[in-house]
Amino acid sequence: MGDLASYRLSDFILFSQTAYYRQFELYNQSIWPLHCVAILFALMIFYALWKNPVGAGRSVALLFVVSWVWVAWAFLYQRFYQIHVVADWYAFGFILQAGLIAWYGVIKNRFTLSVESRPKVKIGSGLLFIALVVYPFIAVISGRSWMQFEMFSLAPDPTVLATLAMLLFYKASIILYVIPSIWILLSVITLFGMQ
Amino acid sequence: MKNQYNRTRRRLLQGMALAVSGLIVPGFAQARTRALITKPIPSTNEKIPVIGLGSSRTFNVGNDPLGLNNVAEVMRHFINAGGKLIDSSPMYGSSQPAIGYGLKKTGKANDIFSADKVWSWNSDLGPEQMEQSRQYWGVDSFDLMQVHNLVEWKDHLKTLSRMKQQGKIRYVGITTSHGRRHDELEDIMKTQALDFVQFSYNIINREVEQRLLPLAKQRGIAVIINRPFQRGDLIDKLKDKPLPGWASTIECKNWPQYLLKFIVSHPAVTCTIPATTQVEHVKENMMACFGSLPDTAMRMRMIDYVEKII
Repeated sequence: MGDLASYRLSDFILFSQTAYYRQFELYNQSIWPLHCVAILFALMIFYALWKNPVGAGRSVALLFVVSWVWVAWAFLYQRFYQIHVVADWYAFGFILQAGLIAWYGVIKNRFTLSVESRPKVKIGSGLLFIALVVYPFIAVISGRSWMQFEMFSLAPDPTVLATLAMLLFYKASIILYVIPSIWILLSVITLFGMQ
Repeated sequence: MKNQYNRTRRRLLQGMALAVSGLIVPGFAQARTRALITKPIPSTNEKIPVIGLGSSRTFNVGNDPLGLNNVAEVMRHFINAGGKLIDSSPMYGSSQPAIGYGLKKTGKANDIFSADKVWSWNSDLGPEQMEQSRQYWGVDSFDLMQVHNLVEWKDHLKTLSRMKQQGKIRYVGITTSHGRRHDELEDIMKTQALDFVQFSYNIINREVEQRLLPLAKQRGIAVIINRPFQRGDLIDKLKDKPLPGWASTIECKNWPQYLLKFIVSHPAVTCTIPATTQVEHVKENMMACFGSLPDTAMRMRMIDYVEKII
């Protein structure tokens, strides 16, 4: 395995920007009308944060578990793995994160809304706004086809950003931040590595 | 051996067909009247054109129909211009199936020189991986099989040597890129029986001129050069700079031709494998396969000019 040390992560970015964003276009075409479900998920999260009804923490956690599993299977493994030789490992990481959220948020029911820290709420609100509202329009803003949009609970980046926001709003174990943080790093490397 | 016989026979027939088509279609005849620059593979003296086609990044399009058809178009123009050597690897995602799609669509599977790689840290899985690659390409057998980036090279080279003896492949090679692990590669070149070696070289990164290229010449190993444009960075740096007037004396009309002719004019280099997603670029690249190549004095002039303006 000593040979592996001679590789950099960017060496594995062996696809072009065009091929990468075309994957989103083909994916969006193939899963329509699941986007309506994703919008419903987003509205449910906003409602849970606004009204904080009984069982909101567990319900929100469940939405995120479904989202992470779906992204792992439908996008990372079925789609992204076609052009990215390590995307199966990414999918594994997403399943692991889904398991962690399920354990802490659904089974242990440890997600309780916390608005004690104003910086946390501000950062969380910002991340949630970017993930749920801004992200779907980034393709068009960047001059790409609107069909290449990325939505929360369907595409990895907005799902991860929304997860980080959720973790800031709800008291959550530090371990739940690990995989989303690694993903942010990988995503930045990918986006720059393609250029 | 039967495969090799069939291949030779097919190539003879293709040569005759080309000659006939040259008589019938004037435009085609004009392109064909200009001699394609080829160089011999030292171990057999078989000649291949000095410009090949890489597939890293550019052919990795998944199952995108638009992407696959674009790959097929690039391949069609490459082969129609006289190109032969197409290089890929299991590491390049879906590039191998895309090449298979292109070969099937163009019907040119027998016209190319197929070069692929084995890339597995488990050498026991090498034969299975190579068979999978062959099926992706849709070819009877590979012309050249290389150990990718020196991965588990000792065991893989034993397997490749055995496959060559059995007539399953015609040539054995080993690759590296990005200027990595040259000391180890040098040792391998000194001690192993290799037909081909592949590494990176371009007009501003000429470290391999010191040891690896002279060693390849001395040992009779064919050399494939990858990353001739530094993954496009060199073109980006030069595209707005003026091409020197004297470039026309070596029949260079643009920077890609200038950079490619510099590389393939090195006496130890057999060919280079620029990769592209664009038909116009493959046409430009293939024009470097025609006309004259720079001599030593001209090569020095080319280096001086680029180093002054970059």
